[in-house]
Amino acid sequence: MIEFDHVSFEYAEATTINDVSFRLVAGDFVALIGANGAGKSTISKLCNGLLKPSRGHVLLDGDDTRGLRTSALARKVGFLFQNPDRQICQNSIRAEIMFGLENVLADAAECQCRCDDVLAAFGFDGAADPFSMSRGERQRIALASLIACRPPMLILDEPTTGLDYRECMQIMEQIQALNDAGTTVLMVSHDMEIVQDFARRVLVLNQGRLLGDGPKDQIMADPALLAQAKLLPSQITALALRMGFNNVHTVDDMVAAVSATAS
Amino acid sequence: MGGYLDYIAGESILHRLNPLTKLCLSFVLCVCCFVSDSHWVVAGVMALNVLLAAVAGRQVLRRSCHMLRALVKFSLFLFVLQVLFVRDGAVLLRLPFGLLVTDLGVSFSLLFVMRLMGATMPLALVLSVTPMNDIAAVLVEKLHVPYKYSFTLMTAVRFIPIFAHEMAEIMEAQTARGVEFDTRNFFRKIRLILPLCVPLLISSVRKIESGAIAVELRGFNCRKRGCAYKRYDILPRDLLAMASGIALLAAIAAL
Repeated sequence: MIEFDHVSFEYAEATTINDVSFRLVAGDFVALIGANGAGKSTISKLCNGLLKPSRGHVLLDGDDTRGLRTSALARKVGFLFQNPDRQICQNSIRAEIMFGLENVLADAAECQCRCDDVLAAFGFDGAADPFSMSRGERQRIALASLIACRPPMLILDEPTTGLDYRECMQIMEQIQALNDAGTTVLMVSHDMEIVQDFARRVLVLNQGRLLGDGPKDQIMADPALLAQAKLLPSQITALALRMGFNNVHTVDDMVAAVSATAS
Repeated sequence: MGGYLDYIAGESILHRLNPLTKLCLSFVLCVCCFVSDSHWVVAGVMALNVLLAAVAGRQVLRRSCHMLRALVKFSLFLFVLQVLFVRDGAVLLRLPFGLLVTDLGVSFSLLFVMRLMGATMPLALVLSVTPMNDIAAVLVEKLHVPYKYSFTLMTAVRFIPIFAHEMAEIMEAQTARGVEFDTRNFFRKIRLILPLCVPLLISSVRKIESGAIAVELRGFNCRKRGCAYKRYDILPRDLLAMASGIALLAAIAAL
């Protein structure tokens, strides 16, 4: 679906992405992890054409993003920004969802229909003012506005930053449901617990280079690789590794591993 | 825009001058552009600006050249607009819809845009070689401007790059939603930018409100003129620089 073919990106005479290659297939749930300044946001912006590669190619369904406009790519790639206030620009939730829909859909009746569906799915009052809502609610409105457009791929740039646990889970469960329904997800995150709980594949980035690309269990069980990227495994994995358990990433995994040892 | 107003650290003579001297010199250079009607004099003042930028260092010079290039683009637009509305003088070119290009129109419009460029560059140069806090402090210490006003002025300048960055981020977010900011049609782009004023306004008000609360919580209203620990003495080199500026102004006025 999306392919990075030896992609490099230079920004203000400094190389931020260096010879990165990977491929995402339809239905993937991939987490992109790395320390601050590793190039995660640059990679996410390269995916939807906000940035064009200095060298190499980013191919979306076989088409080079260099030849495509970002506004046209919006039909295929939805982008959820870390700060919802940069996205929300209308005075009611309905108008906000319709704004995105009208940009990518010509059929007014279809726009209304999709808007109603999304409002019902998220439990929003369409007339409510998005600017008077909490940060978590605004992030959900931004997500609802993206989902309404039904892009086959979603890019999430640290979608849970600044949210409490309940808000974070609300967002992630909705993203999980979309992924289960076939939407490809690329999620940039610092939160290793979220990565553990939701991603199936992990890309590790360090100083613009791809250090690791593999199944979550394999990457998270490699503290040396994470340390190289200046990252720490989640607490449950770190504890499990110290206790000599492999492939333990959740509390349930830990309970099962301890029970198996005890019996 | 933001990049043109940031401070560039350095050890040049311009960096070491008193901030008040730099402000006075920039004011003198602005006035020089307006006291003479000669294109050559205004061009000379512009060249002096570039020379001063070179004295301040390579980075400052590079920025000044970038700024000059940006000003030339903007000035071209203004020049065309201006030249079409001056109808005095000998007609050089007749255009459709009764529009004329006259020799006086060309001369006046050229002088107008050159003055604009010549008067803009010195202030940008001062901001490049002087930390914003020093300008605020010297206004309070030497010119007795109330700290509240000096702080407000400097904060407004400081917010320009922040808002420019914010606007760029908002445009990126909207482009990713399918808004055609990447269109080549200038007028369509302008029409699309209007709805973005809402998120920009919201974020600006939030930033300003939280900034105001933050400074008030740290005793902003208790601050008096003598509170600043740094002193800005006028040294012989400052007097020499100011004298040179006044001499230049007098010479231009006498021409």
